[in-house]
Amino acid sequence: MKNVRLAWRITRLNFRAQLEYRSEFLMMVAIGAVWQVSVIVFATVLLTRFSGMGGWDSSDVLLIPATRMLAHGLFVLFLGRMHGIGYFIQEGKIDICLVRPMPVHLQVQLRMFPTNAIGDLTVAVGLMAGALSRSELDWTAGRTSYLIAAVIGGMLLEAALFTAVASAALRFPAADYWGRWLEELLGTFGSYPLNVLPKAVGGFLTYGLPLAFVAYFPAAVLTGHGHSAGVPYWLAAVSPLLGVLAYLGSRLLWRWSLKHYTGVNG
Amino acid sequence: MAVLSAWRAARVTPLGELHTPPRMTAALLRLAVQVVLVASLWHGLYAHTGTTAGLTRDQAVTYAVLAVLASRLRALDQYAGRDTVIQHMHFGTIVYWYLRPLSPQRYYALRALGEQLYGLAWALAGYVVCLWSGAVKPPGSAAVAGVFALSLLLGQWILYYVMLAIDQLCFFTLRNNAAMLILIFAQNLLSGVYAPLWYFPDWFVTMSGFLPFQATLSVPLSLYVGRIPLSDAGPALLVQAVWVTVLALFTRLVWRLAARRVISQGG
Repeated sequence: MKNVRLAWRITRLNFRAQLEYRSEFLMMVAIGAVWQVSVIVFATVLLTRFSGMGGWDSSDVLLIPATRMLAHGLFVLFLGRMHGIGYFIQEGKIDICLVRPMPVHLQVQLRMFPTNAIGDLTVAVGLMAGALSRSELDWTAGRTSYLIAAVIGGMLLEAALFTAVASAALRFPAADYWGRWLEELLGTFGSYPLNVLPKAVGGFLTYGLPLAFVAYFPAAVLTGHGHSAGVPYWLAAVSPLLGVLAYLGSRLLWRWSLKHYTGVNG
Repeated sequence: MAVLSAWRAARVTPLGELHTPPRMTAALLRLAVQVVLVASLWHGLYAHTGTTAGLTRDQAVTYAVLAVLASRLRALDQYAGRDTVIQHMHFGTIVYWYLRPLSPQRYYALRALGEQLYGLAWALAGYVVCLWSGAVKPPGSAAVAGVFALSLLLGQWILYYVMLAIDQLCFFTLRNNAAMLILIFAQNLLSGVYAPLWYFPDWFVTMSGFLPFQATLSVPLSLYVGRIPLSDAGPALLVQAVWVTVLALFTRLVWRLAARRVISQGG
């Protein structure tokens, strides 16, 4: 409880710190929004030019970027500071966290307020509202609950991937570079039906780098494409649970990596 | 002597990269995977379509793959080198740029030149592999190749000035993180990295014509794939040259204004 109060106070202070540079603050809000708009623009262009993307209706396809964006926005707001932690480690700032009486992971998450999350979430909520209004599905309690679970699972899966990269960055600061690549891949290929890709490529984005579980599989299950998603139906259906498991696993990896972390002075 | 100092400044970033094997390995893997994914995506999209927006499947795939390769030209991790304008502004070390026997303008230009030549080596190697594997089609003729090379050079020149203008913003606002992100977004969207501009509505293409981004990538790649015929290359190249001139004059003026804002320690 004490940690929660402290976290809230630090977050308020961080928010005020961000407000110190007003134009930068507003631009960061804008960038969150325009970054997500770029995904919408690309998706809209593709849907207009190439009808029947992978056999999916455009309203069904829209559910994929909407789920991914909402999951991503929540990730940026709550767990996003794992991304780009390489410089924090390289500059030895993580060493200071090690001697403070607060979990290092929490300190890392509290190191700044993610202003861009405001823009991210605004666009994501708008897109989700648009996708749901265009959807012809019957949004029963079960389906709605699954969608909520999918968004949370997607957030945790994204957090797990970036936590794994951050764990690697504790030993190899240059590993941060992989985080940017991961972000690019998620942005580019996390928003479309992966069955338009060759099987090998789809397999890579499922089993090599599990981007498909963030939004594609949950959307496939919701829209009735679960049996043709390229994996057994049950595997696509448990995507939200995989997110939870992956995040727990990544936190164990982070703890192990932190235990073996050696700073400049050994 | 001047050549020697220019060489030393230009090779800083490439040397930094060559001494960081994990970053180079990541760059190689990232480029290879991105090319395969992008080529697969466009092949998949064209599976049930012939020509769309005037682009055939081969043209679209070639355009998309070349856009990925071109993105390597300026994809260095400059921040890791601790020599970006924002870092110098933050730590107050920008003043040293003004104390050297090399002017800040020239130093910045030489560093950028080294970076872009290093990026070009990656892009060229990738291009040869893609050409050999059939992922991209060769240019229609030697004339097309020549015009494309000239257009690409002008495009990179424009991109250099655009990046410089954003860096110069630090002299006035101290921070440029958000501006840089917006620029990258605008660059990717309006130059046709996300998708060739030919797929976008007419109003969007017209609007982007008033901005310099289209001239950085969309024009050279459209020339390469034949979407802009050779007969229309003249006006396209002229627009690029005008952007180079306008941005060169603008950034030159900003360098002067920026110098007035730099104070040495102690005032």
